[in-house]
Amino acid sequence: MPKSFDEQKFGLLLILPSFILLGLVALYPILRNLILSFTENDQFIGIKNFILLFQDERFKSSLFNTLLFCLISVPLQLFLGLVFALILQQRFFTRGFVRTSVFLPWALPTAVMAVAWKWIFNDTYGVFNDILLRLQIIKEPLAWLGKPDLAFFCIILAEVWKCTPFVTVILLAGLQSIPPELYEAISVDGANTLQRFRLITLPLLRPFLLVALVFRTIQALGVFDSIWVLTGGGPGGSTEPISLYVYDTVFRYLKFSYGSTMVIFSFILSLIFVFIFYKFWGDRQIEY
Amino acid sequence: MYKLIIITSLMIASSYFSCYPQEKTKITFLGWPDPGGGFEEVISDFEKENPDIDVEMIKGPTSTDTRETMYVTSFLAGEATYDMVFMDIIWVPKFAKQGWLIPLDGWFKEERKEFLPGDIQGSIYQGKIYRVPLQSDAGVLYYRKDLLEKEGFMPPQTWDELIKISQKLQNPPHLWGFVFQGKQYEGLVCNFLEILWSFGGDIFDKKGNLILNSPQGVQALEFMYKLIHTYKITPEGVTTYEEEETRHIFQEGRTIFCRNWPYMWKLTQEENSPVKDKVGIIRIPHKEGKNSFSTLGGWGFGISKFSKNKSACIKFIKYITSYQAQKKLHLKSGIVPTRKALFSDEEILKLNPHYPDLYQILLSAKPRPVHPEYAQISDILKRFIHKVLLGELSPKTALDKAELKIKKVLKE
Amino acid sequence: MSLSFINFGETDKLSTKKYRFSPIIYGLTQISFYLLVIFIVILHLAPFLWQVICSLKNVDEIYSLPLKYIPSKISLSAYRDLISNPLFLRYLLNSILISLSTTFFCLLLASLSGYALSRLSLRFKTFFQFLLLIACLFPQIIFLVPLYELMANLKLINKPLALVLPYVTFSLPLAVWVMTGFFQTIPKEIEEQAIIDGFSRLKILTKIILPLSRPALATCAILIFIGPFAWNEFLFSLSFMIKDTSRTVPVGIALLSGASMYEMPWNKICAACVLTTLPLIIFVIIFQKRIIEGLTRGALK
Repeated sequence: MPKSFDEQKFGLLLILPSFILLGLVALYPILRNLILSFTENDQFIGIKNFILLFQDERFKSSLFNTLLFCLISVPLQLFLGLVFALILQQRFFTRGFVRTSVFLPWALPTAVMAVAWKWIFNDTYGVFNDILLRLQIIKEPLAWLGKPDLAFFCIILAEVWKCTPFVTVILLAGLQSIPPELYEAISVDGANTLQRFRLITLPLLRPFLLVALVFRTIQALGVFDSIWVLTGGGPGGSTEPISLYVYDTVFRYLKFSYGSTMVIFSFILSLIFVFIFYKFWGDRQIEY
Repeated sequence: MYKLIIITSLMIASSYFSCYPQEKTKITFLGWPDPGGGFEEVISDFEKENPDIDVEMIKGPTSTDTRETMYVTSFLAGEATYDMVFMDIIWVPKFAKQGWLIPLDGWFKEERKEFLPGDIQGSIYQGKIYRVPLQSDAGVLYYRKDLLEKEGFMPPQTWDELIKISQKLQNPPHLWGFVFQGKQYEGLVCNFLEILWSFGGDIFDKKGNLILNSPQGVQALEFMYKLIHTYKITPEGVTTYEEEETRHIFQEGRTIFCRNWPYMWKLTQEENSPVKDKVGIIRIPHKEGKNSFSTLGGWGFGISKFSKNKSACIKFIKYITSYQAQKKLHLKSGIVPTRKALFSDEEILKLNPHYPDLYQILLSAKPRPVHPEYAQISDILKRFIHKVLLGELSPKTALDKAELKIKKVLKE
Repeated sequence: MSLSFINFGETDKLSTKKYRFSPIIYGLTQISFYLLVIFIVILHLAPFLWQVICSLKNVDEIYSLPLKYIPSKISLSAYRDLISNPLFLRYLLNSILISLSTTFFCLLLASLSGYALSRLSLRFKTFFQFLLLIACLFPQIIFLVPLYELMANLKLINKPLALVLPYVTFSLPLAVWVMTGFFQTIPKEIEEQAIIDGFSRLKILTKIILPLSRPALATCAILIFIGPFAWNEFLFSLSFMIKDTSRTVPVGIALLSGASMYEMPWNKICAACVLTTLPLIIFVIIFQKRIIEGLTRGALK
């Protein structure tokens, strides 16, 4: 394509409004946080905050929780999302209705659904215990939100339920962008279903899987609303992610610079993840 | 498509130009959803008497923490979004230290003795008073009068008595002995403090030294753990209960004793409540030879440093904390008053025969440590107490660790 | 073998062409497929259905044991309370206005930017992509105070624009990504042909590319509207919209309370949840059809 000056101008014009918006709303606060993390009460203190961060037991524990949370919930969402997308791809009676139902969890307000989940997991009046008891899967009501491991299970369940539709939508769009001719061509060569899936579907879905992976991971790293409502970080801090600790540090302890330090750390963490994903999964062809 | 563009642009443009006729002085504060409409009525009464002042109560969410964030955000931005600060007792030292509140000593001196002492104590930071208490709150022990009377038991004064009665009368899981708020949140600290004080311990002594890690502290934590695992009068699920959960269990008749705040009384006496007329209130029990104390909660009004209408705020605060206004707030919204005199008011006593008892409890209620870093201290306590309840840490280890962390916070 | 009628990733009908086995097995696999579908639907709808059921119960029934799955008396009192509350209707209106504006402007900006990124080589391309990336790498909480200051300075507190600006900004990364990915699947020959035919860049964009992009635009619209920065957003809305009349729905739900400070009127909360999802469901149903429409027109041809 000819790289004329006009083309450059046109391109710049196209991205200008977004540019301004991003600079104002996103960049400025981030820069401010960066500066804050190196200061204490308006005095420059270098990397003291970061050193404190690495000695902070509560931070280390919240980091562990966040990583564990991502490690379990994200692959689960990708897998389920793929399965659902494949099924929704088929033409069948009531497909429209099924598709709408599958989008539903994503559409419901997070904080409100978290309150609902809290009630579902209640040990006395909760539906979850009730069903399990009736099905004889458990003998006594379990305190789902009261025991660390069970509570962790609950937050993952709530997250997977809410966020899998996101993956489903993206993968569905991806599936629908695959030209049917490719399948016809390869069937002529005698490929069976599994081979078709492996040789055409999966590779062509890669960019979409990558998008889903990156966005889900980043959003999981910053998870806040649902956990705050569901467990408040408990029991005993066993479900507390980084963002909850940041919230407490800034708004309850009023330690702004230390809070900024934590934020910068999680930013770097997210960057590392994105970098790793792109390095190992990014397809040159689709890169822009 | 184009229609959408036009409509959207119009609406956005119009929102830019919406003006506000500013003749009266306007003062705002952020309160809670105002069930019962007590605040609305008092505000309109005030506006009738003061036609040049317009008071706006912005109704915030039920969650205390969320409202705190809303205040903090506006203070951080240096904004006069809220002229008055309707605050929880534990916010006072934190906001005062940041310089967000103005001291009220100038006009709130003599009146103080009309108010409950604990509420006043909790409103003072470094010798100056920053809040006029409006609503009082203290932990009380609710019990099933009928069940105790049937077996000829007197309401328990000591923990041993409570345990004895519970073990005799309970029938888990249909009827438990004692429930309290054991989830990892502020309520847990309130419960813990009551037990700690009832064993003769405390977090800070009069000079401000940290005395949490003491034999009494260990005993208190051990006691809480034993309630669930040794005496077995408290369900394991208590580690997930907040106020509402315990209320439902008590109201559905599934527990004999319940520690909760005064608000629960009215609800248990409603028409369709299974425990109507079967409920009694007494102090939190204590260990043999020690005393009972309740944790003080409660709300009151302060004035934001950023307000441009401070004199109007003073007028309003004086009004809403007056005898008549507090009475109205009580009658309409069930708000527990902070003026001592109201506890002898005939009308109020008629509706609430338990108020004389409540009054005694309130007189001896203690606030939580009045310290600007209380939030951090509280969070540390919450974690470790919860771990003990779950059986993950022994009481001594928990206190050792908590002490270390709190010391670190105090040094900052 | 018995699954051969299911084509992984293919859009044509359940093909029975390759099928040589007895009708019984065919029937069984059909049934098991539908059973699977039903199971999936139940999984997704169950918590929401429980909300619907609870919203129709009387307050006392919610706390009675054993749990009732079918309310003995259907009570619409929760809904009546909500609808008769003009404030709640105002919340709905605010949410609709803000979410629609966000979706519209974000789609606009994302299409323009996506096109620029996919087709044209620009000097600031990498920096722009970097900006997009960092806009979504930070936990939302940290923007709260700086943005509040900004909106206060611009005198936008309580105005819809205070929310639309950040919502559009934070929805941009995903939207741009989707649109760019889609634009890259459009063969360059189409544009080259158009250039040869004398079309200007702008004309190509509006007359050729955009109409072709309907399915992607539709997907994008759904993702934005029901995403974390439009309808469902809570934190910014709570902080920037202070006046009652400016609030949005999630905050409105948080304000619902019962007769006491600690009470949570579950039937009202559930009813509110149901009511506030209805516009979303309608939105999704409309756009869901469009995806299929766009595709059957052979968008890629």
